[in-house]
Amino acid sequence: MNIIDLLFQPYIFIPLVFPGLIAAFVLLLIIIWLERKIAAKVQLRYGPLYVLKPLGGVIQTIADLLRYLFQEPIIPKDVDKVAFLLTPVFLFGLAYLPLVIIPISPTYYAFRSDLSLLIALALATLAPIFTLIMGWASNNKFSLIGSVREGYLVTSYEMPIFLSALSMAVLYNSLDLVEIAEAQRKIWGVFLNPVAAANMLVLIYMSTSKFPFEIPEAESEIVAGPYTEYSGIIYGLVMGASYIKLYVLSLIYSILFLGGWNPSPSPDPLISGGVLFLKAFILVAFGAFLRAVYPRFRIDQAVNIGWRIAFPLSLLSILISLILILGGVSFGS
Amino acid sequence: MGVERTARHLRAIFTGMKYLFIGPRLTIMYPDEIEELPESYRGMIEYDWDSCIKCSLCAMVCPADAMKMYVSKEESEREGKVVKRPGINYTRCVFCGFCVDICPTNSLRFTGVHDVAYYTYEEQIYTPQEFSKGVPKPIYDREPKKVKAILDEKRGIVYEPSGRS
Repeated sequence: MNIIDLLFQPYIFIPLVFPGLIAAFVLLLIIIWLERKIAAKVQLRYGPLYVLKPLGGVIQTIADLLRYLFQEPIIPKDVDKVAFLLTPVFLFGLAYLPLVIIPISPTYYAFRSDLSLLIALALATLAPIFTLIMGWASNNKFSLIGSVREGYLVTSYEMPIFLSALSMAVLYNSLDLVEIAEAQRKIWGVFLNPVAAANMLVLIYMSTSKFPFEIPEAESEIVAGPYTEYSGIIYGLVMGASYIKLYVLSLIYSILFLGGWNPSPSPDPLISGGVLFLKAFILVAFGAFLRAVYPRFRIDQAVNIGWRIAFPLSLLSILISLILILGGVSFGS
Repeated sequence: MGVERTARHLRAIFTGMKYLFIGPRLTIMYPDEIEELPESYRGMIEYDWDSCIKCSLCAMVCPADAMKMYVSKEESEREGKVVKRPGINYTRCVFCGFCVDICPTNSLRFTGVHDVAYYTYEEQIYTPQEFSKGVPKPIYDREPKKVKAILDEKRGIVYEPSGRS
């Protein structure tokens, strides 16, 4: 087996190339640029323009990345050095890890499990612990306030996000992402259970601190929240982590509600994977667009939304799934 | 209650989308396009050596202490009395135009030049000799397009190429 064949083996290709590390990295570079462009357009401006002008400054992020790479990473004197330096790595790694389990075609996946939805969600929810550790290790009041805010938010979004996702698992009678996507050949999940779809979409933006819920990092209040003390490429890592997490959750959301790779013209992994990637990209871009529309909620308003609105809605979405099953909608075995 | 709130959120997103796809852009691409200035624009000041009657009114009226009278040695020796001429310090000037208004012989006049960069503070202090040589010309890479701002009822500010150049 030569090296090219090895690269296209699913257990290498998915984590490393698509939708894994390289695709995530390209998306990261594009989406940060796009976020600035979208915000600029809504505010009647141009945004980044002069780096590669014919394409609207699309490699601005690469220039920024180079700047981060050559900037001196400052480690303050009183921080807990091991925790301070390791948490960004774990944060980024854990944000990216669920990509391993995302299938990109009915037959192309790194590994298939009966519980792949649960595994993906569980891995995606590990990251906030490191945000908390990061805030404590930084030895800075802004970091601590930011990470405690993150902790508050976790308690309010984590349970509804699981319940909304699991309501679809109830409906499709499976926790396997491949089966879930295949079950939506005729009708997408978003039309079957719109309550769960709307609920989970809002909660995804909440969990990745996209704009109306950009509470942990609230720049005008607490500098950069948990990331205040970071500089250089370590800051690049922690900033990238939340985008990667959004990308992962968008992929899971696309599989759960937007039909995964359906309608795909062919079962070829690259084409069906492209369809899936496009859906996830639109969701990520919409999250970036919200920055231009919304101000920031207060922490109590966001927690209120989590417990008083999202939580009952997620229970309601399970009820809707059960009613649909009783009404005769059935998938799978 | 909940329905009304959801409707408001959707309206906000819709408005954002409207601007994202069909909204205008108000940016003027500055070094490539420059806005045509009105006649009475208060830019950098030019000084006419010959018509100046050395009355010192400009220095007296200057609220920012930017205009200062310098003793002109040559002329003082020639005329046998102290002759002073104005010089300007652009680090202090607030472009209020009092000196231009008060000048009895219109020796001080406004020009449209406002986009000049200096490397040091000292360069921005003009002695009477330098002051009388006129204002520096702004340097552009490419010849800029002149545009003028037009208020459009629907689109807001619109920049259109102006006839004059």
